[in-house]
Amino acid sequence: MTHNSIADVQQSLEKAGYICSRNVATVVFLAGTTQKPILVEGPAGVGKTELAKAVAQSLDSRLIRLQCYEGLDEAKALYEWEYAKQLLYTQMMKDRIDEVISGSQNLTEAVDRIANQEDAFFSERFIQPRPLLQAISSDEPVVLLIDEVDKSDPEFEAFLLEILSDFQVTIPELGTRKAKKIPFVFLTSNNYRDMSDALKRRCIHLYIDYPDMDLERQIVQLKIPGIKPRLAEQLISTIHEIRTLDLKKKPCTSETLDWARSLIALQVSELTPEIVTDTLNMICKYRSDTDLVKDKMEIISKNAGLACSI
Amino acid sequence: MLDLILRFVSCSRASGLRISSSEVLDCVNQLELIDVLEEPLFKTVLRANFAKSRREQAHFDHLYRLFFHDMRSDLSIPHSQSLEALMDKTLESISEEINQDASFQAILDFLRGDPLAYLEEMRRLQSDTDGDSPFGVVNTFGPLVRRLQIMSQINSIGNAIARFMAASRQSIGWEDRKAMTIHYDERLENARRMLREDPEPYDADLNRVTSYEKHLDQLGDKSFFSLTRKEMEEMRDIVEQLVRKLKDTVQRRYSKHRRGVLDIKKTLRLSAKYQGVPIEVVYRHKPRRKGKIVTLCDVSGSVWTAAKFMLNMLYSLQDCFLQVRSFIFVDELEEVTKTFENHEINVAVDKSLKEADINYQAATNYGSTFRQFKREYMDILNKKTTLIIIGDGRTNYANPEEKILDEMREKCRRIIWLNPESLIFWNTGDSRMRTYQRYCTQVRHCQNLNQLLDFIKTLVL
Repeated sequence: MTHNSIADVQQSLEKAGYICSRNVATVVFLAGTTQKPILVEGPAGVGKTELAKAVAQSLDSRLIRLQCYEGLDEAKALYEWEYAKQLLYTQMMKDRIDEVISGSQNLTEAVDRIANQEDAFFSERFIQPRPLLQAISSDEPVVLLIDEVDKSDPEFEAFLLEILSDFQVTIPELGTRKAKKIPFVFLTSNNYRDMSDALKRRCIHLYIDYPDMDLERQIVQLKIPGIKPRLAEQLISTIHEIRTLDLKKKPCTSETLDWARSLIALQVSELTPEIVTDTLNMICKYRSDTDLVKDKMEIISKNAGLACSI
Repeated sequence: MLDLILRFVSCSRASGLRISSSEVLDCVNQLELIDVLEEPLFKTVLRANFAKSRREQAHFDHLYRLFFHDMRSDLSIPHSQSLEALMDKTLESISEEINQDASFQAILDFLRGDPLAYLEEMRRLQSDTDGDSPFGVVNTFGPLVRRLQIMSQINSIGNAIARFMAASRQSIGWEDRKAMTIHYDERLENARRMLREDPEPYDADLNRVTSYEKHLDQLGDKSFFSLTRKEMEEMRDIVEQLVRKLKDTVQRRYSKHRRGVLDIKKTLRLSAKYQGVPIEVVYRHKPRRKGKIVTLCDVSGSVWTAAKFMLNMLYSLQDCFLQVRSFIFVDELEEVTKTFENHEINVAVDKSLKEADINYQAATNYGSTFRQFKREYMDILNKKTTLIIIGDGRTNYANPEEKILDEMREKCRRIIWLNPESLIFWNTGDSRMRTYQRYCTQVRHCQNLNQLLDFIKTLVL
């Protein structure tokens, strides 16, 4: 179950509410066809996670998400034993053990009998699959999103390698599990640290940058159908002007959308420098950034073609 | 097609991009799935497979343009078939005329349309600049001199071509000569441009921190440079208090973290004592990972005050880290870890200044410091190390050696650069902050206590 062509990717993603450039579509198409994981990088808020969600929706498959953080380990990512049940099982065993070995002639026979019993303690019965194991053992192909992989420890990154190259995991007590259906894997990274070469080698790399004006306009129009073209135009050009400033955090696509929604809620039909100043807290999340934008408001409004009220 | 890709790959490798064979295989497989005649697609596929971080992408884009646009030999000359033989002859006669030298040959190859050797030469320019200057003096102008040499070689080849053209006015037709001249001029200009401009990575992934929380009102906002002696003393007390507070916080976090999940194996083993009843329950707890810290401090007058406070804090918080190693430098590097471990912090600060084998009168030289670090201490960096550099990035116009910084970044977990200079002075004069910051994970302005505190907090917590 993959996309048929690059155009198909673009269309089906658009249907899922995600507009992407041809670049992105190409990489998604190739990764789907060659069954390779994608390593998505880019500034915060350009839709890295959204991409995975949209792909899952367009392929009509389940999305399994693993959020990475410092200290994430196998027990939380791969599998865990169900301790409570295991403990109950040992109690049960204790009561039953006499029954099993009763009538045995000597010690050897008793041990043999015990050995013949089902080894349930470490078995499928008591295993609790976590996201990675779920993705591997699912009967349907799934989309596996390993979010913010750069936040995880180097050890965990090394542990991922087996899954990413061979789509299999090794559980010491049970053996190696191969994927029934190869999942479509997305890894996202915010460049908190560099990933190892070994990991990078196994993935196709995709860098998503801030969208250009055209693309962003399409996104705004898709996500907020009611917006007036004039307002959208002003909004986009203002955002692009603000992005050229030396900000601590540049406004991202999702913030553009939030801003557009709040402008509609305020029933604004025309953007003026005053309105931009008043609603700045939707797009600038640091005080120093807000101050900088306010300082440069004159140039911004001139370049973005805002109506000056003076 | 395969041949073309392989040639591109070997050129990229020569220029320092690491491409593994499995990536080449992937790329070739994927090219079969797309319409290679559509150039953006072709480029996307190559880029997705060969450049796997934002910093590599700039390098890749540069190589791609060179290889597939500037160097394509088939289109720049309208009727290449007839000219090819002529061009070979031209270059041959030139290479006979001038003495043989590796870099000379590289330029000639470049003119022929094979940039491999020339790219290697460029790479050598950027990385191996240690020592071997033609004048026997170890100076930082070495690479510059080398560049000039190559530049003059390019020019002399240009002249030789012009001479050849003039001499063969009879044997070669007017149109062919003109086409060839245009072609060679283009190539030579390309070669010169590559020599002049080093490709610089995009710094989109850089984390620049310029704003800060206000922890303290008066002293906190005062620049380190303008502290009086009395304020300095006061500052020390404050730092001590703050460090104690921080330690408490860290300790709380550790003790909280200690409660882990049930360790079933150990619990069962213990329960054997009580006939299988799990009376004693064992939890699995693993300690929080501690980072290793390596600091490089510029101790030339301008930066030392800030560095002093930073070292003071780092060493007071030593038990929050696995290991702290510190180096100080002006134009040479000196390890002062021992001094700081064995003495009380304020004593150590004075001691390291007095006893370290460093010429304080020398001009700060980042390039030679990085070179020395690479030679002697590269192995102490690993994926758990945070490298902190405190300096103003003023190189005194010497070679900045930013490529070594790049290598260091690849070895360690992250590089944080603290610059105690006022923001407005960054990138003015001999300050190479713009060059350096492209290779750092984070760049921070660190001029007063508040900013320093902010930094230490994010480092420890």
